[in-house]
Amino acid sequence: MNPDRLRITAAVAVAAVFASIWFLRDVEPAPWSDAEILLLQSLWLENLPELPPDPTNAVADNPQAAAFGQQLFLDTRLSANGAVSCATCHQPARRFTDGLGKGRGIGQSKRNTPSIVGTAYSPWLYWDGRRDSQWAQALSPLEDPAEHGSDRRSVLQVVADDERYRSTYEGLFGVLPELSAADDAYIDSAFANVGKAIAAFERTVLPTASRFDEYVAAAVARDTESQQSLFSDDEVRGLRLFIGEANCMQCHNGLLFTNNEFHNTGALSAVGEVPDKGRATGLTEVMRDPFNCRGEFNDDATPICDELDFARSGPELIGAVRTPSLRNLDGTAPFMHKGQLATLAAVLEHYNEAPDAMIGHNEAEPLGLSGRELQQLEAFLGTLTAPYRSQFDSM
Amino acid sequence: MINRQIVICMACIMLLACLLPATLMAHGGVVEEDDLCIIKVNYLRAHFKIYQPRVAGHEQYCEDLPVASESVFVMEYQHDSLSSMPIDFRIIRDVTGKGRFARIEDVEGIADIDAATVFYRPAALEPDVYTVLHEFAEEGDFIGIVSATHPDTKKVYAAVFPFEVGFTGWGYWPFIIGLLIIIQFQYLFMSGRLKRWFGAAPVLACCLVLSPGVAEAEELVVTYSTPDGPVEINRMHSWVLHVATAEGEPVTGAQIEVDGGMPAHNHGLPTRPRITREIGDGDYQLDGVRFHMGGYWEIVVSVTTDAGTETIVIPLTL
Repeated sequence: MNPDRLRITAAVAVAAVFASIWFLRDVEPAPWSDAEILLLQSLWLENLPELPPDPTNAVADNPQAAAFGQQLFLDTRLSANGAVSCATCHQPARRFTDGLGKGRGIGQSKRNTPSIVGTAYSPWLYWDGRRDSQWAQALSPLEDPAEHGSDRRSVLQVVADDERYRSTYEGLFGVLPELSAADDAYIDSAFANVGKAIAAFERTVLPTASRFDEYVAAAVARDTESQQSLFSDDEVRGLRLFIGEANCMQCHNGLLFTNNEFHNTGALSAVGEVPDKGRATGLTEVMRDPFNCRGEFNDDATPICDELDFARSGPELIGAVRTPSLRNLDGTAPFMHKGQLATLAAVLEHYNEAPDAMIGHNEAEPLGLSGRELQQLEAFLGTLTAPYRSQFDSM
Repeated sequence: MINRQIVICMACIMLLACLLPATLMAHGGVVEEDDLCIIKVNYLRAHFKIYQPRVAGHEQYCEDLPVASESVFVMEYQHDSLSSMPIDFRIIRDVTGKGRFARIEDVEGIADIDAATVFYRPAALEPDVYTVLHEFAEEGDFIGIVSATHPDTKKVYAAVFPFEVGFTGWGYWPFIIGLLIIIQFQYLFMSGRLKRWFGAAPVLACCLVLSPGVAEAEELVVTYSTPDGPVEINRMHSWVLHVATAEGEPVTGAQIEVDGGMPAHNHGLPTRPRITREIGDGDYQLDGVRFHMGGYWEIVVSVTTDAGTETIVIPLTL
């Protein structure tokens, strides 16, 4: 080859290498636009409204009831084998989850254990929304053969036989008569009271500000230096994808990163199970739950049951499950309603592909994000980790 | 002239290639229609699909399954009446000797059906969608039998679909079809036809867009106000709808239905809002309004008066 031509070729090659390094170098993320700042503020825990009142539960904000509820929450005597409490699955040290695919009480529960942090803000409980208040939810595992495996009379017997429990109960709800002589209607209302005490405790379990929230504070103040010290470039890019291109905020919106609604996102069925119908069955169940808002155990003299009155039914709900909060995902793997996906990376990969749902219709659309972008999203989700808070921190 | 003969010949081969798998599939109660696998239980139809989630993830099969594995059979009803009919589901080893051509009469002729049964789910009501799971222990030829009992007449409707587990695939067919498509494409390209068609495409698109573009003149105007503050997501709202004629005259005593959703996401509202009272002077209270995500929404208001029903769409971006 002609030496001149060789030299030119070499020069062009070197230039090309430098040009590609320049193009591919990590450009610092652009500052947030005003519209983006608004989106960030819509996720900022600083704006969390005060705990909404629960008029269906007369003792919802009673500290004695909450203290009593906490004791009940931890009490394994409220189970058929004396070994299962609420905290068996909702472990305080694991952000009130259990690290299992599906919960395990006396037997194997049907779905993944959701956290209870911040559930006071949700109109619906459970993945399929089959209960409409924290207290109605708290009752259900007590009688589930796979969970506590107990029954309402046995639960009340524990309260009646424990002197401290009995006196607290009677202080809150009135005299507890001899149970063997009590009729079913009385037992039902006393059982509802147990749920209301547990809910009074659960209401106090709330999220605290995470690194993300500090970052938003810095972004709102246009404090570039603090922003840079709080978030890595990857986390900033992940956040930008989160509020934009990755469409996460379609469902994971609001201060708790959930709209508390029901969506089919096409998760694969769990091993050995047919696909979960989700909300399609949950709605039927909540409508006939005797402890729901319309039931006789609602403490509100003039009940307002908008959620039940205006609840939507229809084919969209087939295979739809409730959007979980994205705050504090750390240590809560595996994910999805049956714990089908072992890691956050697998969850993000699933949303990136958005395959057709096995039953019903997957609402999500394929995202076409690169592997690098998925990693950035995952990095951002890590910034939502923070301890929970409760008036009863002795857990 | 020679070219034309080649084209006709090609077309015939391609048609044959396309029809062959379709005719193979069109046996028993399961058929492929417009890329959709349909099970016909007499006049009742359901979208039918089989998954092998452990080995093939979200891959759908219409009948034949590649391996013996956990298999989920799904029927999405196209007739609501299937929701109220007890359905039973049976899978038997193919003891008819008819293979793919086994029919209901052949199954009825089996003396001891229980002996041949590998899976049976007794009749049960399954609203919305029917699903069963069977883990195949071995490969081979099987027959699926779905029976639905009419709740009133007690008449039993059945569908029979023979299928193979450990299916060997289409052999060289996809390869041959692919080759034919390439040859055809090559011919079209060489003949300049492709260019002509693509050149014509934008014109065609314009015609399609323009033709239905004439909107009907609206007689009624619906406006809304939000007495309980600005519209924000994830909160239940109460709205006041004001219905007036084009001239601004309030419309009273109207029947109003409200629905809506996000056209871009193909889903409706998270709640079912409805008019809870008529305030008067053309105002109506609309309760139970909630939006669960930001973006473009449409609220569809159907107003029925003595003059008829009119549908007004209120656009809303959150």
